[in-house]
Amino acid sequence: MNAVIFLVILGGALGFVIALAAKAFAVKTDPRVEEVEELLPQANCGACGYAGCAEFARALVEGEATPENCPVSSPDEVQQIASVLGVSLGERLEKVAVVRCGGDNRLANWNANYNGILDCRSANLVAGGTKACQYGCLGLGTCARACPFDAIEITPHGLAVVHPDVCTGCGKCVAACPRNLIELVPKDAPLHNLCNNPEKGAQSRKVCDVSCIACQKCVKSAEEGQMYMDGFIARVNYENPPSADLAEVCPTKCLQPSLLVKQSMPALEHREEAQQEEEVANA
Amino acid sequence: MEEQGYFALIIGAILVNNFVLTRFLGLCPFFGVSKRLDTALGMCGAVLFVLTLASGVTAAINQHVLLPGAPLLQADLSYLQTIVFILVIASLVQLVELTMQRFSPPLHRALGIYLPLITTNCAVLGAAVLCAQNDYGIMKSAVFGAASAIGFALALILFASLREKLDLAQIPTCMEGAAIAFITAGILAMVFMGFAGLGG
Amino acid sequence: MPKQAKFHGGIHPPEAKVTGAFEIQTAPLLETYVVPLQQHIGAPCNVLVKKKDTVRRGQLIAEPGGFVSAGIHAPTSGTISAVTTCTGPAGASVPAVELTSDGDDTPDDTLTPMDDWQNSAPDDLKKRIADAGIVGMGGAAFPTHVKLSPPPAKPIDLLVINGVECEPCLTADHRLMLEDPDKVLTGTQIIARILGCKKVIIGIENNKPDAIELMQTKAEKLEMEVAPLKVRYPQGAEKQLIYAVSGRRVPTGGLPMDVGAVVQNVGTAAAVAEAVLDGKPLYERITTITGTPVVKPGNWRLRVGTPLEAALTLAKGVHNDPAKIIFGGPMMGLAVYSLDVPIIKSTSGILLLNSDETSEFTSGPCIGCGQCVDVCPMNIMPGTLSVQIENERFDLAEAWHAMDCIECGCCAYMCPTYRPLVHHLKRAKAEIVARRKAEQNK
Repeated sequence: MNAVIFLVILGGALGFVIALAAKAFAVKTDPRVEEVEELLPQANCGACGYAGCAEFARALVEGEATPENCPVSSPDEVQQIASVLGVSLGERLEKVAVVRCGGDNRLANWNANYNGILDCRSANLVAGGTKACQYGCLGLGTCARACPFDAIEITPHGLAVVHPDVCTGCGKCVAACPRNLIELVPKDAPLHNLCNNPEKGAQSRKVCDVSCIACQKCVKSAEEGQMYMDGFIARVNYENPPSADLAEVCPTKCLQPSLLVKQSMPALEHREEAQQEEEVANA
Repeated sequence: MEEQGYFALIIGAILVNNFVLTRFLGLCPFFGVSKRLDTALGMCGAVLFVLTLASGVTAAINQHVLLPGAPLLQADLSYLQTIVFILVIASLVQLVELTMQRFSPPLHRALGIYLPLITTNCAVLGAAVLCAQNDYGIMKSAVFGAASAIGFALALILFASLREKLDLAQIPTCMEGAAIAFITAGILAMVFMGFAGLGG
Repeated sequence: MPKQAKFHGGIHPPEAKVTGAFEIQTAPLLETYVVPLQQHIGAPCNVLVKKKDTVRRGQLIAEPGGFVSAGIHAPTSGTISAVTTCTGPAGASVPAVELTSDGDDTPDDTLTPMDDWQNSAPDDLKKRIADAGIVGMGGAAFPTHVKLSPPPAKPIDLLVINGVECEPCLTADHRLMLEDPDKVLTGTQIIARILGCKKVIIGIENNKPDAIELMQTKAEKLEMEVAPLKVRYPQGAEKQLIYAVSGRRVPTGGLPMDVGAVVQNVGTAAAVAEAVLDGKPLYERITTITGTPVVKPGNWRLRVGTPLEAALTLAKGVHNDPAKIIFGGPMMGLAVYSLDVPIIKSTSGILLLNSDETSEFTSGPCIGCGQCVDVCPMNIMPGTLSVQIENERFDLAEAWHAMDCIECGCCAYMCPTYRPLVHHLKRAKAEIVARRKAEQNK
């Protein structure tokens, strides 16, 4: 009996102290913060501009950010978050990253042995790595290391390739690339121009087999407004893209169908040829 | 004699019988929050507060209420020791958590689950039980609690600093993270074995 | 003779100054020059000429793009055959002007000699230096007129003239001091007049005893001091030189002007004298062409825009294909990969190396030996920093004073595991600067 009385008294007293403290130190929290946080991907990649998913959840509930600011969540998840918050959404375009260079070690010319740190940003500081092209992919994998989702692969021939099926379009790699080669494009875009060399055709041809030589064939073959010239680079108008077949007209094969489009497109032959040549050379 | 007793008690709790590295108590926060030095320091503060107060308060309750022949309740309630101690510790932890949430939300977030887990932390309960076992008075218990907390802080800060350096080191992939942390903790414990003969 | 203070760290690599006894030769006129439009630290230039324009020697072809910038002048008279790009010594493609010589080398007379410089206003002299496009000739190519414009809050009481030439292999400054000491000293007087400072110390390393002796006899009459310095690399770095000759320590993150000092290279002093006395803008410089593969190493007066290939022809070509070509000295120079790279205002040397003199190595992890710390003249910890930088902890690197690094290369020279320490630090500095900028823009 004594024990029961004592425990009741002790428990009551301690409970009273805590109740007082809770009142004194009360922090107002919105229960929706936790709810939203659970719906977020928890990758803490920071692509939304906030320090991690928890911060983003707070910003969402306080109305500073909108659910679309999280590029990683699928449209379904974004919809769910929006319904928790009671806001309506516009149509959201799913984006993926694409490396705008197709010149791997077999196709781009070399002009130096690089013996420094295996990191693109470091290589870019000293004479810019091995390839003769000053604008191309350095292939040392800084973007792959920056990717929180392991969506970027460095091919054995030193070229960064984004796997669009894994990529969430968070944009971390865009910031990591010292040559600003990576671009966020609509996920369903059928083809890309995989060259970023702004120099004249003769110049860019000298340094790489798959450079854009500004011949404008694609612009002429495509319908009005589907392709346009940006200096000496042809660009796809992603708001109104041409079909993937257009890649066939490109003489240097820098215009490539998106990896999501079927892999065995005739336009890929050029690379396969190069591969075969190398195999022959190795044999 | 009394003075010396306190000195030996403090040195013993901090170095010779370090809670973490010799008694292996309180390992959960030791591994959980030692990734960064600043969160480790926050944890040290919380543990110092809880451990000192808990040791003192539980010693008081033990002496005045629970032990047979205690002044407030004659009956032998010592079988209630564990549950009462936990009750006291839990309330203290709750207090710390409320204060921290109010005054340092980032630290609160960084400590995460490890803060409420101090409740069931064997170091805190261990200190209380040890005090009861050794019949330390209220004052002595509080000092023992504080010294133990300092010992815990010493171990945690050392370990957190090491782990911050480890973070930068090249470690074989299979050993990354917890594996190398355990090995480091083991070596650190061996270092503390060196204090074993101190003060008899 | 002032007592020499010993700066911390430093190394003594083999000097290999084989061209020290060879007189400066003047290069014959070439048919074409490719003049890069970015030859200095600071804002890029705006080109003033277009294709088919005719220019005269010394005519301004690109105007400075800001205060921290220097104009670029035509190396000879002729026609602009193209406004293009070329590969610069730093490896990146830079805008350039291709100039076809007409063979007459007609001088431009925009800049007239200022015979009465002793009585000219310092601001006029400064303006002349800016108009002549003079930059630091030691290698950094920092616009000289900027360095000579300290804020009034920081009075200058010490001018240090840098004749140290601590880089191995290079002898351009050495030969200049021997062959044209009067020009160097006149330039020094002009600079001292601009700064309004009385005390002038000329620092020369004591592996050039002939230059020390000559400069000492000449400088005595002008009340300047010559300080012979014990050979040690990087004594020619501003902060180390100031400490060596005066014992003043430039605080971390500070500039020489914070301790009331300005350092100028002997080459810069000579260029200043030429600009003021002859009205000649900076379009040529003395360059050492050296290295084992070179048939006839020597010191040449080369015009800016001389392609590397033409410069090597002057040295009678090479015995064998070099493994590496470096613009500058072996410690701080930059390797180039194309023979089209032109000489610019800061090219103090062209060094060719055989394959047995270069090494390809794989670097290991930092073993914490501390040799880099021992030799670092800036008292930072390159090994620790490199580990932090490898982990992209630039916040830590900044806290550990990565920005103090002068990229002298002593640490990498010493590292037993061949870590590319300077490269790491270069990266960190670029990254920290970018971060600071981003923070400012916020």
